[in-house]
Amino acid sequence: MKAMNRRKLFTVCATIAVASLAVTAIPAQAAEVGVSSSEIKLGMTLPMTGTASPGYNKIPGAVKAYFDYVNANGGINGRKLTLVVKDDQYVPTLAVAKTNELILKDKVMALLAPLGTANNKAVASVVNPGARGIPTLFVNTGFSGFADKKKYPTTFSLLPSYIMEAKIMAEYIKDNFAGKKLGLLYQDDDFGDDALAGFKQAGLNFDVKVAYASGSQGDKVSPAQWVTKLQAGGAEVVILFGVSSATAAALGTASVMKFAPQWILGSVGGDATTIKASGVPAGVLYNAVGASFAPATTDTADEYVKLFQEIYLKANPTETFDNNVMVGMNTAFLTAQALKAAGTNPTRKSLIAAIEKSGKNFASAALVPLNYSTTSHVGYNGYWFGKYSPTGDLKPAGGVYTVYTTDSGNGAVVKSTYKRPAMPAKGLPN
Amino acid sequence: MDKLKGANKLGLYVVSGFILFLLGNRVDELRVYQGASIAVFVVAISSIILLTGYSGQVSLGHGALMAIGAYSAVISRNSFHTPVILTFVIAVLIAAIGGALLGAAAARLSGPYLAGTTLALAIGLPSLANQFSILGGEQGIFFDVGFPPPSLGEGFTQYKWFFWIAALAALISMWLVANILRSRFGRNWRAGRSNETAAALSGINVSRSKILAFTISAGVAGLAGALLSMTIGIVSPSAFPLTLSFSLLTGAVLSGVSTLSGVMIGAVTLVAIPEIADAVATRIGVSERLTTNLPGLMVSTLLILTVLFVPNGPVEQHRTRQARKAAREKH
Repeated sequence: MKAMNRRKLFTVCATIAVASLAVTAIPAQAAEVGVSSSEIKLGMTLPMTGTASPGYNKIPGAVKAYFDYVNANGGINGRKLTLVVKDDQYVPTLAVAKTNELILKDKVMALLAPLGTANNKAVASVVNPGARGIPTLFVNTGFSGFADKKKYPTTFSLLPSYIMEAKIMAEYIKDNFAGKKLGLLYQDDDFGDDALAGFKQAGLNFDVKVAYASGSQGDKVSPAQWVTKLQAGGAEVVILFGVSSATAAALGTASVMKFAPQWILGSVGGDATTIKASGVPAGVLYNAVGASFAPATTDTADEYVKLFQEIYLKANPTETFDNNVMVGMNTAFLTAQALKAAGTNPTRKSLIAAIEKSGKNFASAALVPLNYSTTSHVGYNGYWFGKYSPTGDLKPAGGVYTVYTTDSGNGAVVKSTYKRPAMPAKGLPN
Repeated sequence: MDKLKGANKLGLYVVSGFILFLLGNRVDELRVYQGASIAVFVVAISSIILLTGYSGQVSLGHGALMAIGAYSAVISRNSFHTPVILTFVIAVLIAAIGGALLGAAAARLSGPYLAGTTLALAIGLPSLANQFSILGGEQGIFFDVGFPPPSLGEGFTQYKWFFWIAALAALISMWLVANILRSRFGRNWRAGRSNETAAALSGINVSRSKILAFTISAGVAGLAGALLSMTIGIVSPSAFPLTLSFSLLTGAVLSGVSTLSGVMIGAVTLVAIPEIADAVATRIGVSERLTTNLPGLMVSTLLILTVLFVPNGPVEQHRTRQARKAAREKH
């Protein structure tokens, strides 16, 4: 009886083996992975759920809204753009698993704007798109290291680096708040370390520094501890260098605890929509200093803001047009131009070459120049400062954008003379 | 006679290995990667089956034992540049030591108390990594087993290399576990599980045999942890959440908790469910929150259904039915 069972097991195993060998015919190789005659497929990982998700989870909607606009206007050389989105919950191990899925299962041509410093580092080292020639366009992190072309040959930075931001912020503080006691709240990982490097470079010293672990903003106790430490240190000016949810937690808790220093918010965290989504009134932002490289989202006189707002609200009538949406749509706009520049039959190689060759001249909504070249994968390199209105909108001081630029090295912080070129007709790639 | 049987079984594993080798060469990268994940789950679930099904001890904390294995492997690899094979051996040994300590405590506990203790371990242990910088905090440490040897050819991908390592480890550990279960130790465990007093009366040192079960199970779990972190490339607390411990237990129940041969069912299900959930979510276009939670919901539903309809697992169920049929034919 037992022997018969074993024979049966063998037969079953053999049948399965033969069947699977017969079924799996090797698929015909297309011209390029993720590019068909009618479609170009791109993939994105970011937190769509979980503690860090508020605010960022609007980015895919923004990108898709612009892609749909392009598709409705004939696509890129007749191909429509599609975006596959995967939720990584801001967890590096999940980012790795989801990126593997995007590459192996969804077979995307390129990764687009994957979010988070730690996540991108994990993906770069484990999935290694660089060695496999898979473009990673416009990573959604300001970690300065990603612009290193030797280490990350297929990765393009977009946001000004945290080092640049810290250097420019230090300059702003020296000009406006000299002699005040300084506090800093930062995320205790590569994201925060990059900022620390920038502040150190600029020679800015803090009277009280508080580091928080990523994710701890979600618990009930941590934010109160941060505020208590900052308060005890006597900070008069406090820089918040964290993600949106942590910024919201810090501002909300400080307002409850009646701690009201002059806040300076890093570009990553100062977002009214997220703060409201976290159950904190946007009023806590009032008078805080913030930094941005894109035009103010309330500035409807700006041609990009006007068009992007129109496209976005048409696709998402119940949502608010905010800075995350603005930056998301601008990223989509750059992606469309890059794909167009990559030729009639774009490949991963030609896409990278196109950005290196002409990325510097891509039209963009930002008030800061792009710095792509065959030797540089640095995107934007500067910021303007403004203050938040009672409704939580960042507006430039005196209504004029004063843009400062610098680099991630020893370069000085200088006032930019960059003039943004006019938007191409209908906001579509030429 | 017994020896001959063992050799026969070994043949079966060698044949399975050959079939896996052929399959690995034919399917695409995604399937190879999933194959590696299945192999990891096979190892992990077999450690639960050994502990719960055979020695009758419940563990909700196997995720923590996997974490011990994974961290031991990555630290030995990164700090001392140990060869890949050795890192897995180290993972097994250190996790086994952890298991022996836990087993010593577990031998005094039973039922809900044991479940509670191991649960606390699953929650607490991985987050220890946040306290010691050598463990890399929440961001974790990269675990790189290196590229496949160049002699395997250009087209030999990293994923296939993972698959080879994981599948080989799974076959070896399954063979060992199957043999241990058929040995004196396995019989002792089963005796202890059925009736501790009777087992003690027949000369079995029940608590020692329980500790041994915990030790071996932990060693196997440690191997699974090291393999898991190899496939995802990072060791971090987030790789060993509480849900991992729970899904392993679910996998064991699906496999039939007292039948090692059903282990593939649990492993394949655990890997297939996120796929199915993803397909369902895409088809009906549900919200992001539901998409994220759908796999968990499906696993739980399946667990409830299994407990309701095939409490001993499909393999055991099939065997019982066969035995009954045979008995009827005899009459």
